[in-house]
Amino acid sequence: MSVKSNTVNTVLGPVSAGELGVVSVHEALLSVVPGAEHAYDITIDRAEIFETLAAKLKDFRAHGGGTIVDSTGMFHGRDVRLYETLSRTTGVHIVASTGQGPEEKLGGYFLTPQTNPPTPWPAEKFADLFTREVTEGMVVPRVERRGAAGLVATTATAEGMTATDESLFRGAARTALNTGVAVSLRYGADAVHDLDVVLDEKLPADRVAVGGLDREDAVAAGAPLEVARRGAYAVLDHVGTEGGGHLTDAERAALVADLVRGGFGHRILLSSNATGVAKGHPGNDLPYSHVLTAFVPLLKERGLGDEDVRRILVDNPRDLLSVR
Amino acid sequence: MRTIIKVLYSKVSVVSRVNTVLGPIPAEELGLVAIHEHIGYGMPGSELDTKWWKTPEQRYEETVPKLRAFHEYGGGTFVDATGICNGRDVDYYKSLSAKTGVHIVACTGFVGGDTALYHFAKADVDYLTRQFVHEITVGIGDTGSRAGVIKVGVSRGGRMTDLDKRIYRAAARAALTTGVPILTHLAIDAENAIAIFDEEGLPLDRVLFGHVDDGVNADKTRDVWIAEQGGRIGFDTFGYETELPDPPFWARPRQERLDHFLRFIGDGRLKQVLASADANCSPLGWPGVKGHTVNYIFEDLIPDLRAAGLDEAAIKTIFVDNPADFLALQK
Repeated sequence: MSVKSNTVNTVLGPVSAGELGVVSVHEALLSVVPGAEHAYDITIDRAEIFETLAAKLKDFRAHGGGTIVDSTGMFHGRDVRLYETLSRTTGVHIVASTGQGPEEKLGGYFLTPQTNPPTPWPAEKFADLFTREVTEGMVVPRVERRGAAGLVATTATAEGMTATDESLFRGAARTALNTGVAVSLRYGADAVHDLDVVLDEKLPADRVAVGGLDREDAVAAGAPLEVARRGAYAVLDHVGTEGGGHLTDAERAALVADLVRGGFGHRILLSSNATGVAKGHPGNDLPYSHVLTAFVPLLKERGLGDEDVRRILVDNPRDLLSVR
Repeated sequence: MRTIIKVLYSKVSVVSRVNTVLGPIPAEELGLVAIHEHIGYGMPGSELDTKWWKTPEQRYEETVPKLRAFHEYGGGTFVDATGICNGRDVDYYKSLSAKTGVHIVACTGFVGGDTALYHFAKADVDYLTRQFVHEITVGIGDTGSRAGVIKVGVSRGGRMTDLDKRIYRAAARAALTTGVPILTHLAIDAENAIAIFDEEGLPLDRVLFGHVDDGVNADKTRDVWIAEQGGRIGFDTFGYETELPDPPFWARPRQERLDHFLRFIGDGRLKQVLASADANCSPLGWPGVKGHTVNYIFEDLIPDLRAAGLDEAAIKTIFVDNPADFLALQK
């Protein structure tokens, strides 16, 4: 596999993988809880949203960032045309994602369709819906398709994967097999179990990024190492968030150093799960540059060299996002 | 007849008003009302599936002739019962109303808990009440149009879910606060619905218990009992018939539905019924039912009622007077 020949689907079209630079793989640009767009007490001012997001992307770029991945899928406020304009204006590459989940965030169309009985969608239908967002383009609902999705993202229910979550995961895995984009999953209660569901679809492990592995319960279960051992990417995706069931940044840095020492430096990804603009939920108002400005120094203190850091921030996400 | 209905059903109202998408109108101007219809209905999320997409030209082509025919037949008002997350599109309704001359009443509320998206599914009764009251008294989104009815309903499965119950309770509170009536999707599990309305102190003549005539649920719907409690009864899926070339699963033999309706009003309940076709002008997230439109009311239903011996006064009661009493804001 030659890096030069690989491309990544950005909102402005395919970009050579070598051009991505520093990538933050699990972030949100505009994040709207499904239904919040209809709420009487929520205003969606696109000009204001643009201004806020543009400032955050410029800050990311000013600190050495190259690419932001909006990994919130197709039904959580994704606004492809806004992202195109943001990318053009700020020079930051933006990769948008298809996918949905967990079950409770889905519309009734997928859960109680107008059939008798109202059987929830199976994996194959989700695979078709997501695949066409890569092969034909991402939807602007009821208006048009735009550029190709660069990733398929899904999430399992916090209390544990439901039957419909499993359909979403299997549909995401089949989408990756059909199209060559990678799967980004956020586990529910058991990271290794949830990863195994997509691996059961015969998707190579190196096409999967498992998020949430800086949760205390993931670490207690040994999940970061186990995910890396299986060959998937272990994503510590709440850098900058401390408490609420997450590691501190100091503990995260120690975990990264352990994984690197254990020979898994090529299986680590970092991100902040920052929310550029949140509607209908509190969001996570960290700058996208937090990993670069605050966390990389902690990694250096732990003895990581420039090569290690580059591998984690540039090479690993490049390999993940390259369409196979 | 009208005076009698007023005595039976209305509290004193200084000015009789109904919220339409183009502004309040006097109830006297409603004319013949189709009480439970859809410009276009789709389950939430169906907008992501290109299978159902239509161009704006196609939508207007499918919709405008039906509304113009409705108007020419003598139809006055079209009540759109499409819930908040089901593709309700008030700006579109405004343009349709302005160009066709048909009054369109939009709703707040949800077709059922299973059509409320996450933001609302997680909300408590107070928040849902504020959402409904805002849409009735201030407006829907930034359209400036106020909702004229509240839609509630029973989720798939036959029993009210906890979310359905929160929506019913919020609707009752919003109805009491604003004076608009409530229109239900399905009248099964009515004991639970009526218990909530009673607890909230909402008179049951402010509630239209809909779809008592639908093919799946008619046998399980206690229409007479609901009427005895004081509720209004919606025979509002007229035209979804097993005789259609491709009937939906909720279809019912034409004569069976008509007999059901005639039997019901024959027992002295003419003033408690409303009738409609629940058709989609241009469906949003499902194929729709070919050949079924709001104009079934004029083309089939009213002729059938006349043939069955109903006089013009009775027809006026069902389609003009009862809806006017129901829709007029009551405080």
